[in-house]
Amino acid sequence: MSKRKVKDAHLPVGECITQLQKILRERLCNQQLPEKPEGVGAQHKHLLELLRRTAVHGESNSVLIVGPRGAGKTMLLKSVLRELLEEKEVQKNLLQVQLNGLLQTDDRIALKEITRQLHLENVVGDKVFGSFAENLAFLLEALKKGDRSSSRPVLFVLDEFDLFAHHKNQTLLYNLFDVSQSAQAPIAVVGLTCRLDVLELLEKRYIERVQTQLSLPQDFPDEKFAKDWNESVKALCEDKSVEEVLLRHFNCSRDFRSLHMFLMLCLSRVTVAKPVVKAADVLEAGRLCFADAKADMLHGLSILELCLIIAMKHLNDVYEGEPFNLQMVHNEFKKFLQRKSNSMYNFEQPVVLKAFEHLQQLELIRPVDGSSAKTQREYQLMRLMLDNSQIMEALQKYPQCPTDVKQWAMSAFG
Amino acid sequence: FVTQRSGISKRYSESYVTKPLHIFSGYRPCGPFCGGCTAFISAGQNILIEGEDEDQPYVAKVLKLMGDESGQQKKALVRWFIRASEVPLSKRKLLGRDPHPQEIFYYKGRSCDDEVDAESIIRPVQVLHLDAAAPFPESCDEDTLFVKMSWDSKTFKAVTSDQVDSGSADSAPSHLKPSLPPSPPCSPPAAAPATQGPSCRVLPTPDPAVMRKASCRETWSSRSAMSAGKAGRMEAELLIIRLESIRNRLKPNSTLSPQATPSTPRTPHRATPSIPCRSLPARRPANILEEARIRLHVSAVPESLPCREAEFQDIYNFVESKIIDGTGGCMYISGVPGTGKTATVHEVMRCLQHAADVDEIPPFTFVEINGMKMTDPHQSYVQILQKLTGQKATPDHAAALLDKKFSSPTPRRETTVLLVDELDLLWTRKQNVMYNLFDWPTRRQARLVVLTIANTMDLPERIMINRVASRLGLTRMSFQPYTFKQLQQIITSRLDKLKALDQDALQLVSRKVAALSGDARRCLDICRRATEICEHAAADPSAPGLVGMSHVMEALNEMFSSAYTTAIRSASVQEQLFLRAVIAEFRRLGLEEATFQQVFVQHQALCRVEGLQPVSVSEGLSVCQRLGACRLLLLEPSRLGILQRVRLNVSQDDVLYALKAD
Repeated sequence: MSKRKVKDAHLPVGECITQLQKILRERLCNQQLPEKPEGVGAQHKHLLELLRRTAVHGESNSVLIVGPRGAGKTMLLKSVLRELLEEKEVQKNLLQVQLNGLLQTDDRIALKEITRQLHLENVVGDKVFGSFAENLAFLLEALKKGDRSSSRPVLFVLDEFDLFAHHKNQTLLYNLFDVSQSAQAPIAVVGLTCRLDVLELLEKRYIERVQTQLSLPQDFPDEKFAKDWNESVKALCEDKSVEEVLLRHFNCSRDFRSLHMFLMLCLSRVTVAKPVVKAADVLEAGRLCFADAKADMLHGLSILELCLIIAMKHLNDVYEGEPFNLQMVHNEFKKFLQRKSNSMYNFEQPVVLKAFEHLQQLELIRPVDGSSAKTQREYQLMRLMLDNSQIMEALQKYPQCPTDVKQWAMSAFG
Repeated sequence: FVTQRSGISKRYSESYVTKPLHIFSGYRPCGPFCGGCTAFISAGQNILIEGEDEDQPYVAKVLKLMGDESGQQKKALVRWFIRASEVPLSKRKLLGRDPHPQEIFYYKGRSCDDEVDAESIIRPVQVLHLDAAAPFPESCDEDTLFVKMSWDSKTFKAVTSDQVDSGSADSAPSHLKPSLPPSPPCSPPAAAPATQGPSCRVLPTPDPAVMRKASCRETWSSRSAMSAGKAGRMEAELLIIRLESIRNRLKPNSTLSPQATPSTPRTPHRATPSIPCRSLPARRPANILEEARIRLHVSAVPESLPCREAEFQDIYNFVESKIIDGTGGCMYISGVPGTGKTATVHEVMRCLQHAADVDEIPPFTFVEINGMKMTDPHQSYVQILQKLTGQKATPDHAAALLDKKFSSPTPRRETTVLLVDELDLLWTRKQNVMYNLFDWPTRRQARLVVLTIANTMDLPERIMINRVASRLGLTRMSFQPYTFKQLQQIITSRLDKLKALDQDALQLVSRKVAALSGDARRCLDICRRATEICEHAAADPSAPGLVGMSHVMEALNEMFSSAYTTAIRSASVQEQLFLRAVIAEFRRLGLEEATFQQVFVQHQALCRVEGLQPVSVSEGLSVCQRLGACRLLLLEPSRLGILQRVRLNVSQDDVLYALKAD
């Protein structure tokens, strides 16, 4: 969908832009499956073979796909399934059960869902009847009756696999793996998780039932994704500054989703007046992505609140991160005022208290755990939730910051 | 012969006497629907005898009545019939049709106690012989039972009426008129008038005084009546027995009561659990590697179990001796996972079943439950009951039924062998499930052998309270992990002359696994994976070579390599830097824990060293969170922001190793 093609059709520019944005947004948001998964060729082949053997030969298998968030685990599985289902033999035989650890939060719900998706005989309409124990016995009986060569293979996909491991006794997992290890209906269990220690979560007796076949999808560099863009984007890629931003992003996270987010920001800056993505747009998007939320919040504070924050920073420096209370902060602030000897910031105690409470509401400071609520507010111990670098950065950008306050903040000793 | 008919609010009572001495008039007010009666029975009559199931009492024909020397015990020598529900669940299908609810079978099996106590006799009953082809009569008189076939604990056979009637001449006429009320058996003249069916007189409602008196004597039994009789009538052909009321007809039948709510569809009854059949048949293995893979799959059932001969023999001897002696006992089997505990027990059962089939040992029933395959420890009662009798019940009811079954004396009982897998899951706070399971075998009549399996050797000492552990007894067996030679033998026997695996490669796998865990499952999986790798690596897919050293090495590496190392290597630059910062901060502090803020300072310093633009706090936090999601780091809740504490979930050496190799 190159932009140039669209332009060739001699449509009005506005319409072109709308279409372009629509197409690209769809690509970025709907997570359409790429034609060919890149960077995970070996894993793709491995998984495909494994599932095909279950579907065609009726061999039970279990596999765990582990990888960080946004690495393309689900994408890998989806593209494997898409390829697998193109085969007629597989299409006719394979039954699928999709479970998600976030939806099926306990074994009771999971069992009902399995029974429903398998359309077993105790399903009436859309409802599953019978107690938990009956359902379990029924499902096990059903699976037990099958055998390798005659019954249809079942594919169990367990998304967020680690959450299933937290279920009581791990009944579901034990039974699934037990079925896959005994001469019953052929099943393939595919678990997707981002937790590397998932095997430690499983009890000992399950570990040996899981055939540890880990595959870690590596991420692929984001420059590749850029190839999908039209020539102007290609030119953009060659731009040094853009590359820097992308590289920085890549350094930070090799996450597919966050890249999509980032590109969405670029895309939304494309308007009628500016029909191509310029380097400046990418830089701006990068700035938005990397912006520090807490530092931005500091810009909205009043001078008094800022002064209190600076006083806290000094207290932190002096006492090496020990908690403080309002009285200490106020004293520190007063010291600053005495030196300056102008009464511009001479606030009453209640006003300071109010400002202090506001900071607490913004969660820039938080009370120390375990400090009782009975303590007077002035003496309640607090900790600062900001790093020095954040405070300094915010001060630089603070509109019309008084010079003496800035100097006070920079000085090593309050 | 007296039966209760109609009479919902009235009470029937009859007293039939042989001698004036023993006139007895019993009112037993036990509810509006029942009354107490006495009746005589005589040799040749068919009777119901108290059994485990109130609704399905045992049926037998009285051959002889007698009393022991002291005159305290009246006994009857009987010939047994068997109900369809008493035939083991697995054998019922041999009948080839659904049994009629009132059908009984002439019992020709052995191991029968032919003497019953007179007290356990409930009442007489009518037994009709039908030809094998004849239909069952329409009449549904509760007290008429039909016999067509015989059962000798292996097969059903047709019987002639002579066999059924042998030893009695008096019930013959009733065969001709099955629909008529049962005719009274010929009895001594004194009893004759009383046994006339129609002579059931409706007595006037008894006055309250009598009622009270009767209720006090509710525990009256035939023994007390008979003990007064003394030796004179010890050989009497008549016994006074108490007629139990027919409760089953009047009891509200919970299972059948219709829930007349058409809007909510109910679970289809007797839904058969099954996975649909494949529309296309599974492909046959095409080459030697695929064949090997099928044989190496853990699910493949081997012909024999190598390397567990000693354990096999021990368990076999234990169970066999219990079956032959007709006693009960417990055995506890322990061993780490994948050492063949369950497989060995199954193998023993298979052999014993075979021995029983060829009549070497008495028949027995085998029931298996698994602690993991139930939702709640108390479900074990339900499953045992269901597998023994096919009944469905709630856990409490099932426990009561089983308890009754195993504690009541029954003349014909087959030994039950119960396998309890994953015993530790049956633990409850009161341990009542375990207690019952181990207590039943100690009862004289139970004839129950319990084999229990769990992983830990000292489970009885660790989790069981004393009274449970002592009932479990000291018959213990422990399965040792396989040695490498045994593993080698297992794989060789599985492959069975199939040339798929190189000898050296095989030795490597078994040595490696034996050194780690001795888990046969793991060993088989690695071999299977190696065949896959070999198949992929082969240039010509139709003729792949032998699985060699290199393939096995690759499979081993896959299995045993740490996921953490791979994850760290594929992490982004900032993530790797953050990990380094964590380690640097730990070293500086000398602690294994630091706050994010402390680590972040190190991180920024490292960024500068590496020539990267320092990251902002938000970015640093998100890097930290991603590592936390992978569980490379352990984090406090994220609401603590920069104050959250960070710990490593991997050893520092592992991290450094992974980063260095980069």
